[in-house]
Parts: sequence; structure tokens; C-alpha cells
Amino acid sequence: MLLFRSEEHVELSGKPRGAFLNPEQQWRLSDAWYHDRADPAWRRKTVDEAEAVFTDLGLLGPFWKLRP
Amino acid sequence: MEADLTQIRLHVLGRVVETARIPAAHETSAALGLTEQEAIDAYRRLHEGRVGSMEPGDPTRFRMLNPFSAVPTPFTVDAGGRSYFGNCVFDALGIISLLGGTGTVNTTCPDCKYAMTLAVSDRRLQRDEGVVHFSVPAAHWWDDIVYT
Repeated sequence: MLLFRSEEHVELSGKPRGAFLNPEQQWRLSDAWYHDRADPAWRRKTVDEAEAVFTDLGLLGPFWKLRP
Repeated sequence: MEADLTQIRLHVLGRVVETARIPAAHETSAALGLTEQEAIDAYRRLHEGRVGSMEPGDPTRFRMLNPFSAVPTPFTVDAGGRSYFGNCVFDALGIISLLGGTGTVNTTCPDCKYAMTLAVSDRRLQRDEGVVHFSVPAAHWWDDIVYT
């Protein structure tokens, strides 16, 4: 997960095209993922919970599916 | 004896927050009164639980204890009065989240090296630029987490 100057710069870098998020989406995803990491009760998200986070952020489609 | 994994996880995480480096197994064993083998076993279990990822070939050290990196990366995070390295932009912002929601991420465009900053204050993104690119589909992030 890298921060590029623009989508054009991803193309120029030669990296295969994947999925794009704007920084606000990424902040919300990172916050959802890590805000409770120092909580003693923390546990890994289940597949359903993780997919629900993606869906809430509008991250839809096969790229964001965790099941084969 | 199987050490309390939650206690060890929180101890290691706390040390990273305080020192900006991930302690090796011998440091954790000394701090918690464990044998080094017990600490190594706990590190392996944390690796298996995807709490982090071991340094390849070295069961005594983490390469990453998510969201923190044990090695320098292009993602510098300033938060809570200290500087850290995130594994990627996802984790760099995750460090800010874990530390209370205020901080900055400095990085450069992998293509042109243009310097960019993301700033968060009170859990609100205050400064943003650029676009985040994921090259690996979510189902395969942990196939090779260092690459991801």
C-alpha cells in the first residue's frame, strides 16, 4: 500500500494496476483496523468483520473479497 | 509452560510505543521473567496469529509488529512525541490511530520521489495529497506480507 502523487504516477512506475483509495478512505480504513490494537481484548477481525469494514468504506468488488 | 500471549503482545507493543523499536525475544523474556525459549514460542504464535511477521530466518526478532516496522521504510510517522516507521501507508496511518489519532505521515511518491504529507488531528484527516494504491487483492495480503 503506497502513496503515489496521482494515478498517472502508478502507471509511470510500471506497477500493475490494482485498487485506489483516496487518503480519507485510507485514514478511515487504518483507523478501523488499528484503533483498538492496544486493547487487551483486541482480536483479529473475522472475515465477515473485515469485509464489513471494506463495504462501509465503499470498497466493493472482487479485489476486496476475502473468500475465494 | 505457555506464556500469556495477551500479556506478551501488550508488553511488546508498549515497548515499541515507548522506544520506537521492537524488542528481541531475549529482551522480552528478561522483562517478563520468561525463558528465552518461551518468548520465542510466543513470538511464533503472534506471527501465526498475524499480529506481526518474523524477520526471515530469525525466530527471535519481528520484522514488523503491525502497524510498526522494525526496519526503516519510506513511511515516517510522527505521533505522540516520537518518530516511527510504518510498513506502508495503511500501517503508517494505523500508528497514528493506535496512538490516539493525531500525527503526521511523511513519505515520497514511489515513482517520482515527490515528498508528501498526510496529517491527522483528533481522528480527522487535516492534510491530504496523492492517491493510495493497493497492488495486492485483500485475500492475498498475507501471502507475502512484507511485499504487500
